[in-house]
Amino acid sequence: MRGHGFLLANYVPGTSLVHRTPLWLKFLLVLACGMGSFLVADWAAAAAGLGVLCGVFLLSGAGVRRLFRAVRPILPVLAVIGLFQWWQLDGPVAARIVLNVLVCVVAAAILTATTQVQSLLDGVASLARPFRRFGADPERFALTIAIMLRSIPFIAGAYADVRDSARARGLERNPRALVLPVFITTVAFARQTGDALAARGLGEADDGDDHEDREG
Amino acid sequence: MSNTDNAVTGTTPAASPGSSAPEAPRQSRRSRWDATDLALIAVFAAIVAGSALIAAIPVGGLGVPITLQTLAVMLTGLALGPGRAFAAVGLYLLLGFAGLPIFSGGRSGLGVLAGPSAGYIFGFLLAATAVGALTVVVMRRTAEHSAKFRAVLLFCAAMVSSIVFVHGLGILGMMLNAKLSLSAAFLADLAFYPGDVIKNILAVTVALALHKAFPDLLVRRIRRVHLAGEAAGRA
Repeated sequence: MRGHGFLLANYVPGTSLVHRTPLWLKFLLVLACGMGSFLVADWAAAAAGLGVLCGVFLLSGAGVRRLFRAVRPILPVLAVIGLFQWWQLDGPVAARIVLNVLVCVVAAAILTATTQVQSLLDGVASLARPFRRFGADPERFALTIAIMLRSIPFIAGAYADVRDSARARGLERNPRALVLPVFITTVAFARQTGDALAARGLGEADDGDDHEDREG
Repeated sequence: MSNTDNAVTGTTPAASPGSSAPEAPRQSRRSRWDATDLALIAVFAAIVAGSALIAAIPVGGLGVPITLQTLAVMLTGLALGPGRAFAAVGLYLLLGFAGLPIFSGGRSGLGVLAGPSAGYIFGFLLAATAVGALTVVVMRRTAEHSAKFRAVLLFCAAMVSSIVFVHGLGILGMMLNAKLSLSAAFLADLAFYPGDVIKNILAVTVALALHKAFPDLLVRRIRRVHLAGEAAGRA
């Protein structure tokens, strides 16, 4: 957590056909699965879809263990929902609901397992480009993303430090002693970062209409 | 840096004088965020991400472990006000959807949208914005009241925002994705209420301490915009 390693945990390097598929196509696949999960009414169709997607996932060479790791967090909740709906509605309906959710999760896992974090983030940053005419600034957007990623290890470290010092004072069950110092530290950190950016002339808005404002 | 506020409000002196005070916040949102604002947005987005990842805190007496995610979301609104809180939580969601494992339990990607907790995730965005907007109103109206009164009002603002948006959209998400009936979804959602009350109390105490430690985080900003709005009204 104190490093950036956990951010890379999902990517599996490779040169398979799935890896070489462009990002927008994979994104469309995820979107289509999301839409499809509201339309598919037959549990067999959902099961077939899940089978195909699992096949694509394995085709990328990510392996069965990765596939299981992608769906594991949602399995307990799905088990509860599946049993509940089985009891409330019907076996096939419960199966359809659970399978549709799994289809979407596996589709999203294909996207993240076969795309480098860097190109994912570039994709996100490029989302700001169409909004440029409304005042969006892709560069400042990308800068903010970079600061956020750089801050996560700092904040995780701050949590750990504060928890240690609270334990040393015998306050490990006092929520205020555990939370407040973290926020004080991180706000101070944000302001230092802001000052450092301003000192380097980064992050300032500098397009045409803003110059008019400055001169006024 | 700060003169952009005045510059932006100054360009529209034709606004009718009677409605200048309520219009001030809308104009301030038009002003550009400076580098410190960007850093605050980024760092609060990172706090929301980090709070989803760290282990829960055992609360004394109750024995119920609370995760810090909703606490961080509400605190973002209470600390930054509506515009920057929306940006911070929105940035967190966007990067989570893009595939970084920063949703609770290390989940990631668009697959979360298919899960039963999808409604809560969107609820975070709206709740942080709503509580931010209410915080600005409370801070402006209660400048001469006691700190205790202000804390109670902020707590009410946080509770209303989380009930309407987090719980409202959370129930809607369970109905859509898990096809639960309204009553079943409502019952499933009830389990989160006790923790929410505790977290909102904690969020308000931390937010008030933050505003005391960093008056330029939000309090002075509100006052500045307020004064600028009055000046524009007088002109």
